[in-house]
Amino acid sequence: MSSFKETMKKITSNPVYVKWLKDAWPYLTGAILLSLFQIVTLATTYNPWGVTGPYTNWGAWIFELFGGSVDKWYYFSSEGMQRTLENGFLADGGSVRNAGLILGALLAVLFASQFKIKKIKSKKQVVAAVLGGLLMGYGARIAYGCNIGALYSGIASLSLSGWVFGIFLFLGAIVGSKLLVKYFM
Amino acid sequence: MKEVMLDCFGEACPIPLVKAQNKMKEMDIGDILIVSIDHSCAMKNLPDWARGEGHNVEVEETGDGEWEVVIEKVK
Amino acid sequence: MSETQAGSSIRRSSSSRAGSARKPKPNQLPFAILVLLLLIAAGIALQAFGFGTGWYLVTGLIFGYILQRSRFCFTASMRDPYLTGSTLLTRAVLAALAFTTIGFAAIKYGYFKAGLPIPGMDYVVPVSFATVFGAFIFGIGMVIAGGCGSGTLMRVGEGFYMQMLSLLFFIVGSFWGAHDFGWWKETVINKGFEVFLPDVFGWFGAVVIQLVVILLIYIAAEKYHEAKASADAH
Repeated sequence: MSSFKETMKKITSNPVYVKWLKDAWPYLTGAILLSLFQIVTLATTYNPWGVTGPYTNWGAWIFELFGGSVDKWYYFSSEGMQRTLENGFLADGGSVRNAGLILGALLAVLFASQFKIKKIKSKKQVVAAVLGGLLMGYGARIAYGCNIGALYSGIASLSLSGWVFGIFLFLGAIVGSKLLVKYFM
Repeated sequence: MKEVMLDCFGEACPIPLVKAQNKMKEMDIGDILIVSIDHSCAMKNLPDWARGEGHNVEVEETGDGEWEVVIEKVK
Repeated sequence: MSETQAGSSIRRSSSSRAGSARKPKPNQLPFAILVLLLLIAAGIALQAFGFGTGWYLVTGLIFGYILQRSRFCFTASMRDPYLTGSTLLTRAVLAALAFTTIGFAAIKYGYFKAGLPIPGMDYVVPVSFATVFGAFIFGIGMVIAGGCGSGTLMRVGEGFYMQMLSLLFFIVGSFWGAHDFGWWKETVINKGFEVFLPDVFGWFGAVVIQLVVILLIYIAAEKYHEAKASADAH
């Protein structure tokens, strides 16, 4: 067992490990790598990266689990949407990519040996999470996406909608900051 | 010269940074602020901010996913 | 240079020092390798069982890994200028927008030149009051919940119970939005208009104008950051 521990120690004190797996990268490194894989994503899947679209499918699948039906909903009425819902989670690229994003972040913290469960600390955090989640969910649906799909992919796709989204997102963030300091801190 | 401990375990971003900024305003030159955090973004934005202000900063990893950011107010 | 230095130059009383007194925990590296192996197996299984989404799993993992490692946060890029006076992440997002614009435009132009349908046009969506209102409430929500679409997922992976709760209600909100979408589409979105910038300015003009706008915002953000930092010091 001691040799295992020694090997671990050798790996975790290696400068390559420290640089790539332990320390935080500069933001610019993130910007360059995200751009690279955005471009790869467009080239290989014919669509840019999006995150929130699949959430409506998750909602629909959970709703169906409880016996509900979304067949009559305008949002799910297209043939493509119906097919996506029928084929399920594992066949929905966006859903799998979101699961991958969670697990990719998990991998990153495990490799850095920095995983820790962070429990909810106060009622304030519960209210903030519920209210924030609802506002983001509803907002993203009517605005055709979130910071990724509507803003990042929208602007990079040379769509005016991305810029308009960005301006009002910024204004919303200012109001959110005021609320955060006043009620949630 | 005094030491001020600021416990920000379980606080989501940007609360540790805002709390630290407010605390630093009340402190005198030479005082040391020690912020305990377990938010991986705060271990970057908090030192980034303090270094930008010209303070002495050290980050110590005290456990898995836990850090102490030590800031010495220099001006 | 390691950001987590053990040796300290700041003189600090030994009573407040926790580092040496704490008992060492087992390193999490073996779990990382185990999870990685399971994910490789999952990716192969997605392909082998005909779901065809293995590549999506790979790109998701890569996006999650990059976001976590670089602490990239779209929420902070929008929130920090007002709240903390920092525009470091704002500038990083602007850089990403510029790089990705160039790559996307090259791909799109290639398809256009070849007379093929341009990829990714689903992301060129109408501008309407729904964009304005949706973006505004999204902005409020992401700041109080401590994470946007990608940030919430990333923090779920990092073990934050708060963002797991917010993800749950993100899904509820999305589903609610989908429920009302017919109304929004009919009364608001249909009054809007789609603008694909190359249709207005030409391909070259659109890319150049967009890059210049990004550069101008970048410079303004840098000046704002410096002004805020020096105002704080006095």
